[in-house]
Amino acid sequence: MPAKPKVAFFDFTSCEGCQLTIVDLLQTHLGLVNLVEIVQFREAMTEKGEDYAIAFIEGSCTRKSDEDRLRKIREQAAVVVALGACAHLGGVNAMKNRWAIENVQTYVYGEDGKAMYESYEARPISAVIQVDAAIPGCPIDRFEFLHLVQKMLQGRAPKLPDYPLCVECKLKENACLNKLGKPCLGPITRAGCNAICPTYGDGCEGCRGWIPEANFDEMREILRGHGLSDADIDARFTMFNHYQMQHMGDDAPVTTTVSPVKDEPLPTSTFAAPQEEPVR
Amino acid sequence: MSLYMFPKEKLAAFVEALLPNYRVVGPVQTEYGYAFDDIASPEQLQLDYTTTVLPPKKYFLPQREVLFNFSNEADDQGQPHLDVRPVYADVEPTVIFGVHTCDMNGIMLYDKVFAEGYKDEHYAARREQTYVIGIECLRPCDSAAFCKDMGTLTAPPVYDLHMTDVGDYYMVDAGTGRGEQLLLDHVPATMARKEDIQQLGHVLSAKWPNFRMRLKMSKDQTPSLLTLGYRAKLWEELGEKCLACGSCTNVCPTCFCFDVQDELDITMENGARARIWDSCQLREFALVAGGHNFRETKASRVRHRVMRKGKYIKQVHGLLGCTGCGRCERACLVDITIPGTLNALSDEMQLEPGD
Repeated sequence: MPAKPKVAFFDFTSCEGCQLTIVDLLQTHLGLVNLVEIVQFREAMTEKGEDYAIAFIEGSCTRKSDEDRLRKIREQAAVVVALGACAHLGGVNAMKNRWAIENVQTYVYGEDGKAMYESYEARPISAVIQVDAAIPGCPIDRFEFLHLVQKMLQGRAPKLPDYPLCVECKLKENACLNKLGKPCLGPITRAGCNAICPTYGDGCEGCRGWIPEANFDEMREILRGHGLSDADIDARFTMFNHYQMQHMGDDAPVTTTVSPVKDEPLPTSTFAAPQEEPVR
Repeated sequence: MSLYMFPKEKLAAFVEALLPNYRVVGPVQTEYGYAFDDIASPEQLQLDYTTTVLPPKKYFLPQREVLFNFSNEADDQGQPHLDVRPVYADVEPTVIFGVHTCDMNGIMLYDKVFAEGYKDEHYAARREQTYVIGIECLRPCDSAAFCKDMGTLTAPPVYDLHMTDVGDYYMVDAGTGRGEQLLLDHVPATMARKEDIQQLGHVLSAKWPNFRMRLKMSKDQTPSLLTLGYRAKLWEELGEKCLACGSCTNVCPTCFCFDVQDELDITMENGARARIWDSCQLREFALVAGGHNFRETKASRVRHRVMRKGKYIKQVHGLLGCTGCGRCERACLVDITIPGTLNALSDEMQLEPGD
């Protein structure tokens, strides 16, 4: 067998849940380390090798200073793989793109703190560097990751399903959530997760991105049929895919704008903790 | 073959007697309806059920079926060679209870496609070990059913046993010798007497008015209607609506297309070749090497499905490819239905309704 390819894992703006999924995969599929040599993986090891052929990058690019680091990885790696929804699509990080960045910074860090944290529009890494493959999902599906690694080792081009989740739900004989009146974006979302959320009764939120033929008009009609407002439907369409919607321009299937609106007020969090009483 | 009968309360004993030696499957209650599933104890079996998401085709053509395993092994001289071993996973003596007449018509088509001419070993292995026990449909499953239009309201000759609920008894038609043996070995059935047969005849005659007709034409007209309507505007309209989700074909008792995929284990020295259900409604189905797609548009795919159901399969195998079970209609989120499509096509072609 030829020398094992050297792989490295990197993280940008993300929760690191995709890398955690790989750590978890190694517990059941330790044989993976016989296929590749991991030289850098901050979440799992201390060593930091800079000689790698395959780079897995988790997280979106949300800072100007991220760009150089991404380009450096691209220069070194023969193959760059976007790992998970943030790197692949921009992910939930890109929801902030709807507001002017100054307002977002003030909202999150306060007047005093905003200068201390660099930030700009959240983008998938493909907006900065050329990406050879993507493993979608929030988080990734561990078996899809494994299959992709195996395909690459065989010298074959990794391929993602381009059909919707409905296929997987039907093969598992799940009851259709949309038929039960529960909103599910499965009909427009790329399969490959084995319809894990609908299987457990939660409607798909689109974390794997849209299929090439996504029928947004009919999807909206289905969701309206569940009593959802257009604003709510827009929110669902942009939860993981805000960046994609931004870049569809006038064709974006949303009823409101997805571009930054300077003075639009930021939402009030419904999860905000109540003001604490000072301790006496 | 012979007509038998046994008291309905003996059904549990029948199932109980089969369980030690057979995998017993049949309709069971689920959270939202019914599904064919393994029966572990007789009370799970629900013969008076409406419909299921998937037809019993999953027992003949599983969603994912390993055809063979392969491994890269060294021979005596240390040279690598590929070792291939066929796999017949989960092929075991199986009894399927509660197969509706529409689904038995589906099985009849699989037999034509997979067991005549070029015989599919994996299908044959499952089919030979599977007993089909039908249940006569006395009421339509729901408003989506159009079995009466499609002529699938009577049991085709694929069953080993066919049961009809005649009140206190099940009347059982033994369709095969092995079915008759299965019955007599596991339940105290008696030959039906003349008055029992008359009672059965009464039940079978009384059921027909319960079913409505939904097609504006006779099923025998669908091949010609589809020939005339190949270039109808209707297909574009349906293509606009279609989600290309493949649900209609995956739940269909007569859709049997599959994809073949090789899967490697973690060592990458061993693997399996599996076939997995595929759908002509998906974009890549007719995509070939070189990048050409024979059915690029959703309109062409929707049309292809209806063409197969109402014409092509009839031309090749002599049977219509639709059993009127209504599953595609129940699964579709944008209300594309076979009766609706054929009726709209008939309107567009301005045909006179058939007899």
